[in-house]
Amino acid sequence: MSDESATAQQHNDESAPATHHHDGEAATSQPQNGEATSESRAQNDSSGEGTEPILTAESLTQRYGAVPVFEDLELKVEPGGFTALIGPNGSGKTTLLRALAKLYRPTAGRVAYHGPSVPRPIGYLPQQPRFRPGFSVQETLSFYARLVSGDREHATETATDALERVGLEAAADRPVEALSGGMTRLLGIAQATIGDPPVVVFDEPASGLDPGMGLRVFDVATDLADAGTAVIVSSHDLELVETHADTVFMLDSGDFVAHGPPNSLYAAHEADSLLEVYRAAISGDADRVRVRGDGE
Amino acid sequence: MTDGDVAKETEGVTGTETTETGHAYATPGARGLISAIVRRELRTVARTRTFALLTAALAAILLGIGWAGGGMESGYVPTVVDVLTPLEVLVPIVAVVFGYRAILGDRERGELEVFRTYPISSWQLVLGTYLGRAIGVVLAVTVPLTLVFIGVVFTETERLRVYATHAGADSPVLFARLIVLAVVFALVVLAIAIAVSALVSSARTGLVAAALALLVVLFGLDLAIIYGFVAGPLGEGSLIYALPLSPLSAFRGLVLEKVIVTAAGTGPRAASPIASLFGLAAWTIGSLVVATLGVEHLE
Repeated sequence: MSDESATAQQHNDESAPATHHHDGEAATSQPQNGEATSESRAQNDSSGEGTEPILTAESLTQRYGAVPVFEDLELKVEPGGFTALIGPNGSGKTTLLRALAKLYRPTAGRVAYHGPSVPRPIGYLPQQPRFRPGFSVQETLSFYARLVSGDREHATETATDALERVGLEAAADRPVEALSGGMTRLLGIAQATIGDPPVVVFDEPASGLDPGMGLRVFDVATDLADAGTAVIVSSHDLELVETHADTVFMLDSGDFVAHGPPNSLYAAHEADSLLEVYRAAISGDADRVRVRGDGE
Repeated sequence: MTDGDVAKETEGVTGTETTETGHAYATPGARGLISAIVRRELRTVARTRTFALLTAALAAILLGIGWAGGGMESGYVPTVVDVLTPLEVLVPIVAVVFGYRAILGDRERGELEVFRTYPISSWQLVLGTYLGRAIGVVLAVTVPLTLVFIGVVFTETERLRVYATHAGADSPVLFARLIVLAVVFALVVLAIAIAVSALVSSARTGLVAAALALLVVLFGLDLAIIYGFVAGPLGEGSLIYALPLSPLSAFRGLVLEKVIVTAAGTGPRAASPIASLFGLAAWTIGSLVVATLGVEHLE
């Protein structure tokens, strides 16, 4: 963090501790040209001023030995929000998402879920979802559904609902190993939504997909947010992020260098696109891959 | 779906929770969760051709040995004597093949991590995996030995001579005991394989660790006991109580004690059955505990 550029440092000030677009500097800029779904969610959010966050990260720190991945991160996620996490490769996005999904115990700090008591509070889509071969799509989802529902009939319904949610009904009987990359990702999203978790975490759901499939994946995530689920997504597809996300967190060198609604970020950086904000906020040489911990 | 709907046809349900979308979930209890894992493993076992081929190969080898060795014509106990040594090697191989990728596969695919977002604990996952694979292993060991048993029934021609030369009686019950003991042995080694599966993180290390575990089970522990006997710590009197430290020795001792010596009617005490069963139980439980800790401390 000590080697961040002045720009990054300046925007770093915005990041702590209130991080949702209702609060802090970034929230003062009203959305101007947000995509319809994110606008409507923003309006819903604004009507719920002071909404309690459903997920919070406090002083979140992760190190691998002496190598820091991120330190003292603060994050609040509200119900029904679409939060995007962007940043260079190796900036710690996946590690942060895994912490938010409570998949491991961070070195320091805590992630707290404040939502309703449900069988599965947080759903998770790994970056490269894979499933046990030899099972059909329907069987795979039914298995996962049985982990949240003791009722066999209900579990089957849950699996079918999840398939319909991602538009994969036609492939219900197809073996998982025969799915394309995009369909596997959609199956992963369906898996992540099993049990209607109030929070879902998707790690690069559009990575490696064609533009149409990537858009579809983000539309599914938007539908979930519209239905009240808090969606947290990491992505390198800045166009999809700026048209779908309510709030963007930009992670660089283990710190949030910018955050807020896309339009607020444009205003703060005198930019016309998220890509320009990204270029302005991210420190270092874009042609070189940085390795966290080197020289820090 | 209403709560009333959820209440019907439930399995191991602990309570009902309603999500924000209005869906009511009859939260599965430990039994329901383990049952879901068992069913998944059973489907995997049923659909994996390798397991069927392994079972067929074991049947062919045991039938071949029983027939070529002449044991099948001589009776049940002679057949036991013929197949015992091959069983000591083949049963662990079968069990390890069934188990060594069970949890490793889920870990490699990232599904083990995904399970952490579901209300299933590590011990439930391990136990369900073990039980599911155990059903496959039981079949893989029972079917070939049952075929050998049937072979003895139809080819046995020297019944009278065997009765005359044995102080005890040759009996199908003794062969049935071998089947039970072989199944128990296989289940113990399966638990060890599941532990290996939970501790490794890649296919290559899994294969190496499985091979090492096989070597330890087949030779290492026996050699350690022999060394203990030769070097002095183990006296002659304590040897039969030390043998159960090795699952293989415990199995061999139980077969000698409960099948062969019983048929012979006399002979030196080959094993302490209680100590052997205790040893096998300790290996099974210990391995499953290790597997649970391996899953629990996944990074």
